[in-house]
Amino acid sequence: MDGLRGRGVETLLRRYLLPLAVSLMILVMSGCVSVRLVADYDEQVDAAVTQFQRKMEHFLVSLERNIGKDEASYAHNTRFYDDLRVDLSSMRVRAAAIPDNDITTQQLALLSNSVTTLEKLHRLGISANDIPPIRTALNTSCTAILKLELAKKRGKP
Amino acid sequence: MPSIKVDQLVASMLQAAKGELAQKWPEAKDYAEAEFRKIGEMIAYIEAQRTLNLMSDEKARLHLEMQKNAACTLLLTVKGIGSLAVEAAINAALDVVKTA
Repeated sequence: MDGLRGRGVETLLRRYLLPLAVSLMILVMSGCVSVRLVADYDEQVDAAVTQFQRKMEHFLVSLERNIGKDEASYAHNTRFYDDLRVDLSSMRVRAAAIPDNDITTQQLALLSNSVTTLEKLHRLGISANDIPPIRTALNTSCTAILKLELAKKRGKP
Repeated sequence: MPSIKVDQLVASMLQAAKGELAQKWPEAKDYAEAEFRKIGEMIAYIEAQRTLNLMSDEKARLHLEMQKNAACTLLLTVKGIGSLAVEAAINAALDVVKTA
């Protein structure tokens, strides 16, 4: 198994990295000394996604507490969805303006789609058994976006 | 300019690149595995709720849409971490060339 994995890495290196690295030698000689395939870390995206997750968790805790009451109805919470939409729009515009940031831009589009889907679910009426999958989906999405954003620090504090 | 021993240089570049890739993959794999498990459990939960008639077809469909979005977001993170590893591997190999 390890041998197979080792051969896979070896093939990857030989097929893609080695030719690329060798051709990049020329660039090194001419002063271009490093390659960048993914955008740099962006503190604002980090803070905005963290804030989004916090707002969402607060909302879900409040829904859980008020299931069956008017406070948990869709009509009572339309303002929350409007605010989220504005937040997500700002995040997406910011992310799209950063070069080499396609992955984060796509992730924020998916998060936006999840909020639209959550709103549709809420219109149908939220029950206690709806909360666990909603929480998992949104937390997993936010964690994944933050995980990549932090990885973009490339080991820097 | 000193003569470059190509075989030795290539071996050093391979070693540097391999080290970067090998270091990043286990971390990404463990993270992805744990998160995919959570999504898998939620898909099973949605199916159970539907089977017990505790959730409508429409609700189940919307829940699955959210799980699908989460899985895609996760895959994109793994792709991004992979790209960062490739980037680090190339730069490590380039550092070898710079110091050759």
